Amino acid sequence: MSTLVMPQIDQSVLNDREKIVRDLKRFTNPINIISDPEGITPYETDALSAYKQKPMVVVLPENTTEVSNILKYCHENNIKIVPRGSGTGLSGGALPLADCVLLGLSKFNKILEIDFENRCVVTQPGVTNLSLTKAVEHNGFYYAPDPSSQIACSIGGNIAENSGGVHSLKYGTTTNNVLGVEIVLMDGTVMKFGGKKLESEGYDLLGLITGSEGLLGVLTEVTVKILKKPQSVKALLLGFQSVEDSGQCVSDIISGGIIPAGMEIMDKPLIKATDDYAKAGYPKDVEAILIVELDGTESEVNILIKRVEEIAKKNKSTYLRISKNDEERLRFWLGRKAAFPAIGDMSPDYLCMDGTIPRKKLAEVLKEITKLSQKHGLRVANCFHAGDGNLHPLIMFDSNIKSELKKAEKFGADILKYCVKVGGVLTGEHGVGIEKRDLMCEMFNDEDIQQQLNIKQAFDEKSLLNPGKVYPILHRCAEGGKMHVHKGEAKFKDIPRF
Amino acid sequence: MPEIYSPSSEHEVADFIKNCNSQEIPIEITGHNSKPIGRLIQCSKSLNLKNLSGIIEYFPEELYIKVKAGTPLALIEAELDKKNQELSFEPSDMGFLYNGKSNKGSVGGAVACNLSGSRRFRAGALRDHILGFRGINGKGEIVKSGGTVVKNVTGYDVSKLITGSYGTLVALTEIVLKVQPKNEESQTLLVNNINLKKALNIFSKSMQTSVEISGACFYPAKMSKFFKLNDLDTTTSITAIRLEGPKISVVERVNTLKKLFDEYKKTISVLENYQSRIFWQNTTDLQFFNNSPNVVVKIILPPVNTDQFINKFENEELKYVVDWAGNLIWAEIPENDSVLLRQLRTEVIKLDGHMTVIKAPNHVRIKEDFLTTVDENIKVLSLKIKESFDPKKILNPGKMYSGI
Repeated sequence: MSTLVMPQIDQSVLNDREKIVRDLKRFTNPINIISDPEGITPYETDALSAYKQKPMVVVLPENTTEVSNILKYCHENNIKIVPRGSGTGLSGGALPLADCVLLGLSKFNKILEIDFENRCVVTQPGVTNLSLTKAVEHNGFYYAPDPSSQIACSIGGNIAENSGGVHSLKYGTTTNNVLGVEIVLMDGTVMKFGGKKLESEGYDLLGLITGSEGLLGVLTEVTVKILKKPQSVKALLLGFQSVEDSGQCVSDIISGGIIPAGMEIMDKPLIKATDDYAKAGYPKDVEAILIVELDGTESEVNILIKRVEEIAKKNKSTYLRISKNDEERLRFWLGRKAAFPAIGDMSPDYLCMDGTIPRKKLAEVLKEITKLSQKHGLRVANCFHAGDGNLHPLIMFDSNIKSELKKAEKFGADILKYCVKVGGVLTGEHGVGIEKRDLMCEMFNDEDIQQQLNIKQAFDEKSLLNPGKVYPILHRCAEGGKMHVHKGEAKFKDIPRF
Repeated sequence: MPEIYSPSSEHEVADFIKNCNSQEIPIEITGHNSKPIGRLIQCSKSLNLKNLSGIIEYFPEELYIKVKAGTPLALIEAELDKKNQELSFEPSDMGFLYNGKSNKGSVGGAVACNLSGSRRFRAGALRDHILGFRGINGKGEIVKSGGTVVKNVTGYDVSKLITGSYGTLVALTEIVLKVQPKNEESQTLLVNNINLKKALNIFSKSMQTSVEISGACFYPAKMSKFFKLNDLDTTTSITAIRLEGPKISVVERVNTLKKLFDEYKKTISVLENYQSRIFWQNTTDLQFFNNSPNVVVKIILPPVNTDQFINKFENEELKYVVDWAGNLIWAEIPENDSVLLRQLRTEVIKLDGHMTVIKAPNHVRIKEDFLTTVDENIKVLSLKIKESFDPKKILNPGKMYSGI
């Protein structure tokens, strides 16, 4: 584990621990307060499990008033708060602090209203992403953003991280699909941003808090829009003799005026790994595969499939299969979705990176990653949300070999720096958290960061809400840690990750 | 008249603002002067950004365009058109409303006002299409956020905060917008002579099918007359639904809807591609209120409340058009009827909506609120945000709210 500088511990708060625990019992049912060491342990980390820290106390409030009273009390008494949804985040956004109250939203687990007429769902933030779709699919509706951890991640956490999924190019990320929130600020003020209407006036506070990683307020209610499921969905599985050809094919599809629902590229090491693991039936004699998913009306999808087929041929595809039914389409995805566990099978440990790059830079970035792989002496496999440019290199290493984790982290940081160099960004969907915090100055200068810290001040002038996350504490660039998986023992290893 | 400064580079903008900040001189930021929108403010200096113009980079296959903030929107659209692409939030040409002739203004102005056209409920608003920006805050510092990619959670999404902030947080210098392929075909299903309630029901039913409509508006009989389209019956109310995409798919979906609304078969007709495009262009550009001398407001409501709202004012001197599948009402009231204006606002608040005064004579702009915000906590937070960018409140001071 790398050394991580976190905000200074407030000893006076820790000295008052017993009194604070007692006081908190005034604001919620005492059974919602967890202060014994054993009870606290499950909250010591999120899915970035290389980093652990037990909080001072865990509180699981049940309603907005309780959240408001707890925050107000903590604000008045200078006690730090770390909010937490399902704890599936990959960047350490919910990592506790030794002197914090960890505020878990797990009891906010009810869908409050399904409103088909206004095409929205009002829900508590602890409800899982997939439950939203489950709640409306009987009427043919769904909630569009589909992060890979959707069976477990909460909608509140999705808003904190602005989660995406494989369909972001066509359907947007969380920010394009959330209509309103009820939010509690650090001083206990309760506010509503947005609602069942399409937009709000004044500053776009809803847009600002989406993706703010729990630094600006605590969500207690969420309104999301729901969409009608497309009539038809089909996919093509394409193979190429070079990554360049697959990347060019993606560019040509988009230049040809087609916006597929999803596009995914896997490189040769990953194809081999997933095929050995999931027996997905991918072609083995290709350097890259590309999955293209198209949706719309039946005839529209058929036309688009034909066009994509032509574009693929022009780009020298050597393998082409079109899904005949939904079962086959899902099989195309099966291997892709098995990417992470497959790598876990091949290597005792791996780190997952999450940069976004301009699509046309894919081949260049992959070449650089191969070079870096040789330089650092570690294997790597790559999957790429080609539609939206989000790249997930999986760096393989063995933590039992001294210095390999450090080497892997250095390799990861080098990849992210290169992503920024070619015009991309540090993180597409996992968030900055603590993981990429110290790389922020690769993208922003002091003035940019200061402006963002000033915005934070407007919401939380004492900087008590989730401090130490997203923005560098020491204003210097260092290599951060990454999602670290040891012996396939990733936190929530049953949750799909892609 | 304020002293006008028209810089042609970002650092000139920064130096100018830094200077004004040190002397606490308020600045009104302008572009192409196409939209006299917001509260009426008076500043001793005016910062005009129209010389900050030009396309910095445009990569059709990457689906983005990076431009300087003063670039004419019309120029950007013409450039995109060459590659068969567009801004899919359909920016409105507000020139018709304000001046009776086309003037789309600058891209910076469009971002500052976050105005989106008829496709908004399907494609998102302008705020959903901004990927990044550079601008100068009230201290004269260059601030930037976002990038050129759609998936990005690196730091706060300041681009969204800037969009619709009416120049009160930064003077924009560069903007990155997402672009999309143009739709091959546009057709419009029309139902004549039904009331708003039925029209809203048609919108709602259509959106509960998989046909993917991308326009849904209602013109009451007294408003439909302004159209001059051969295939359009303008003697009664018009309910219009747009379908876009590959031609074969559009035809198929039009037929699906025709069947679904069989009960109206006597009054159903279809506008083909050419006229369909003109119909929606006219609607998006508010040509029904061409050069209005009156007060024009934009009302946003949850769509189920729209009929109740209109019913309440049916007998008043109110002209209106409903767009965005019932989410938006454009309304015009006589310029001297401040009682009606306030009644509208009260009712909008009751029905969980908000109202923005888009156009009004100066004597109305001086005394009437521009926005509706009633939550004092939001105003307090907005003020703190304003101060985090512009501590001396010199950028467009008071443009949105008094004191912000």
